[in-house]
Amino acid sequence: MHKRTLVVLTGLAVVVAAAVMATLGTAGTAKTHYKIFILPKATGIPVFTQNGNGAKKAGKELGDVVTYNGPTTVSGAAQVPFINNAARQGYNAIVISTPDANAVAPALKRAAARGVKIISYDGDTARDARTIFVAPSTNSLIGQYEVQWMGAQINYKGQIAILSANATSANQNTWITFMKQELRKSKYKNMELVKIAYGNDDPTTSAQQAQALLQSYPNLKGIISPTTVGIQAAAQELKQEGKCGKVQLTGLGLPNDMRKYVKSGCTTKFGLWNESNLGYLAAYVAHNVLDGKLNGTLGQSFKAGTLGTFKVAKVDGNSPVVVLGPPLVFTPQNIDKYHF
Amino acid sequence: MKSLTLRILLRWETLLVVAIIAVGIWSATLSPFFLNRANLLDLVTPYVFVGLMAFGLTFVVITGEIDISICSTLAASIVSFAQIFAAGVNVWAAALIGLCIAGGLGLVNGLLIGVLNLPSLAVTLGTLAAYSGLAFVVLSGEGVATFPESFTKYGGGYLAGNELPIALLVLVAFALGLGIVLHGTRFGRYLYAIGSNREAARLSGIPVTRVRVTVFVVSGLMAGIAGLVYVGYFGSARADAASTSLLDVVTAVVLGGVGIFGGTGSMPGVLLALILVAEVRSGMQLANLSGQLQNIVIGVLLLAAIVAGNLISAARTGSRPARLHRRRKGVTANARADAQVLVDSNP
Amino acid sequence: MIARVRAMRPQELAAAAFRLREIGIVLALLVVIVFFGARASNFLSVSNWQDIAQNVSIVVVVAVGETMVVLTRNIDLSVGSIVGLCGYLVAATLAHHPGVPVEVVALIAMAAGLGLGLINGLLVAVARIPAIIATLATLAIYRGIDAEITGGKNITASQLPDRFLSLAASKPLGFPALAWIALGVAVVGAATLRFVPWARDFYAIGSNPDAARFAGIPAGRRIIIAFALSGALAGLGGFLFASRFPTLDSGAANGFELTVITAVVIGGVNVFGGSGTVLGVVLGAVLVATISNGFTLLRLDEFWKIFFNGFAIVAAVTIDSLVTRRLQEALRRRRAELLVPSPARADA
Repeated sequence: MHKRTLVVLTGLAVVVAAAVMATLGTAGTAKTHYKIFILPKATGIPVFTQNGNGAKKAGKELGDVVTYNGPTTVSGAAQVPFINNAARQGYNAIVISTPDANAVAPALKRAAARGVKIISYDGDTARDARTIFVAPSTNSLIGQYEVQWMGAQINYKGQIAILSANATSANQNTWITFMKQELRKSKYKNMELVKIAYGNDDPTTSAQQAQALLQSYPNLKGIISPTTVGIQAAAQELKQEGKCGKVQLTGLGLPNDMRKYVKSGCTTKFGLWNESNLGYLAAYVAHNVLDGKLNGTLGQSFKAGTLGTFKVAKVDGNSPVVVLGPPLVFTPQNIDKYHF
Repeated sequence: MKSLTLRILLRWETLLVVAIIAVGIWSATLSPFFLNRANLLDLVTPYVFVGLMAFGLTFVVITGEIDISICSTLAASIVSFAQIFAAGVNVWAAALIGLCIAGGLGLVNGLLIGVLNLPSLAVTLGTLAAYSGLAFVVLSGEGVATFPESFTKYGGGYLAGNELPIALLVLVAFALGLGIVLHGTRFGRYLYAIGSNREAARLSGIPVTRVRVTVFVVSGLMAGIAGLVYVGYFGSARADAASTSLLDVVTAVVLGGVGIFGGTGSMPGVLLALILVAEVRSGMQLANLSGQLQNIVIGVLLLAAIVAGNLISAARTGSRPARLHRRRKGVTANARADAQVLVDSNP
Repeated sequence: MIARVRAMRPQELAAAAFRLREIGIVLALLVVIVFFGARASNFLSVSNWQDIAQNVSIVVVVAVGETMVVLTRNIDLSVGSIVGLCGYLVAATLAHHPGVPVEVVALIAMAAGLGLGLINGLLVAVARIPAIIATLATLAIYRGIDAEITGGKNITASQLPDRFLSLAASKPLGFPALAWIALGVAVVGAATLRFVPWARDFYAIGSNPDAARFAGIPAGRRIIIAFALSGALAGLGGFLFASRFPTLDSGAANGFELTVITAVVIGGVNVFGGSGTVLGVVLGAVLVATISNGFTLLRLDEFWKIFFNGFAIVAAVTIDSLVTRRLQEALRRRRAELLVPSPARADA
């Protein structure tokens, strides 16, 4: 008798409390600023932090409130609570880079149903879950360049491997597809892609995967790592094993991270783009979408602050896309010019 | 003789209700969006799968065991379900198969622990790793995210104008159902008896082995059901699903007043504790505090729950110190002679 | 044979059981080496074994500490977080003060680990929180502190002094430096457990806490020491981790505790406490690392490794528990004889 009464009483108490609190709702607010939520793949990775800083800079110029937050480990599922929260907290737009294009789609669509605008950048989501995708560079170019850099470094002969990030990452998979396409050209006929390893954008896992590549393919001539975490880990691994110069390395990397390795010959060419500018551009796209100036129609153009004018286009079969620009190429000659 | 009111007030569940309200007030100060009806209803939704696992774990802990493999069981069952579904099988049939697999994994635990009498911590530590590995073998680093809305709505869908989460209804339904089993059936009473004194329970005719095997199957099944809700809410099935959720599940159970050595605990307590955990996390999430910071708070909450429990039972039994170790059942008395032998027998 | 075993005095029985375990691991190791050596071309190469030694060294150092805790019938799940946190402290110190000698940084890491382990010990011995719960909570709390300290950033190898980074690459006498350190820790650990009185108490406490109390052993204090040592060694492990994987973020060494406990369990340390040796743990760690390496060389899907680890734990626990039961029966018989002195025992 006791227990049941207690259960009913506690249940009533909770319901009453909830009802009381519910009547104190929040009033709607007139907006002079937009609230924009930047949601990276994870918050611990420097390139994403740089994206965030660029976005915040744009926010200051535009008078928008920009929040940068996300999961601490790279995971699409872990982004879902942030998406739901952003919708609840009245954010007008979510600017998301995701490692799992499909996992976040249902949550994004639910947020969109509540009137939140969705813009993706860097790591694209499912196409119907966002208005516009902001690409750091043309995907086909990124894929082609990396293979070209590797080919030149190994004299177009030998086994190569790719050290990627997450198996579900849209940008990684797109770049790998273009790499494979490039490799089919006749000038690469003596090169063989033996393995694609996944480091999940985790420094330790990437290092272990790099070591495993070196162990399981003793004749490996080169590693392409289209991820800043992966290329850094691979470079360190090569250095520790004393294989710099014997196994070539290229991919996408941060100049500050890679400077030491460039100087000691572990890599002679790699690329990236200005991460801060990417975030800056993404925030401007979000603002223009909220203003109604952009709605995903091809051919629309807008001005992104100090970066200039951009146009919405169809790129490599993906649309609608805004591209930041061609990749930056880093070599021993110019590496000291860049400080990010 | 204490009055009824006082006895209600001094119960663990009441403390939880007070805590829920207190945390609610604190969360409201952290963010103006907290006291919003839709938000309050949605507080628990991301943690329904945690609650379902906690209900299953409660059954195990009451019998005096532990099962830390539940998160891996969830992962293994959902990736199996996902692969079967991706191969073209109807989503509900695939889900049923996933549930059977979850139950089977629980059965393995149950047989090793209930029949072979192996220590549950060690066994479930091993199956935690084994089942997680199994999950990765089935689905590697991929994810399946093409589930139909008719299925995912049970984890992530809403009724009543987009405000009432269906998952919440699922949680309450299971709390009621399992609560009735625990508090209102003979089977439930067996659990408490076994947890208090296994030998006495066996001597009084309770089919101890069968019951112990069953609770692990229940734990596995609940992990499977939690997995289906997980897929509904997160929209995808991956091998690393729920890998960081063990802390929350154990906290919900311990904070719910379930004694870690077995023999005590209630289902309403676990439900309230889950609401509290969800509220703490949701509140902190709304305030844009990081997941890691949230983990610190939950960890401290877990420790505080045990210490509070120790203090309360010490006060009740007149400051007899709580056991430092769980007694190894079956090692009988005359410790002095054992001491002699042990001191001699170290290699 | 059974009769002879029955007639053994308990200390001989226990000693025989331990040796059996270690011999078993060595045999398994030989089988594994032959198996992989035949199938993978560079399995038997020097550089491959240097890699294995390198990878095993961090596990061994932390596993020695974990062994001490498990011997007392407790468990320390927070070692992974301690490794990550102390590793980050090492990297942060060196990044901001590159002039600090490497030895000092190692000591800082051990001191930090000692403190964290001490907290664990207090939670278990004083606050009477069961070790599984206490260290599950501190796993989360220490990881959270790590995340707060890193502030969402990471420290990359480019920020660390070369003299520190070269530690992981150097191979004095052909054996990796990290492995020499691990060897030293293992030797000291084994010697401690064999000769130092308060360390030998760990075995007594784990076998039968009540009996240990009656024999006058201050269990609480010993348990605190065990956790503190586990923390200190995890701190040293963090130092080694930072030198091996010099890019550290808040997720470093996530899940590492499982690797350590695998080595401990397979190495013959009984999860219920009271028996196990450092030698067994070292062999167990080497066995696991060798199999993992073999899988890699055979280009097997690496997820089989995780499954295999788990399966190995379950198998090891099953075998150990069944053996423990035999030992317990022998002990009971011995105790009965102590209480009721029997006439001359029949010779086997």
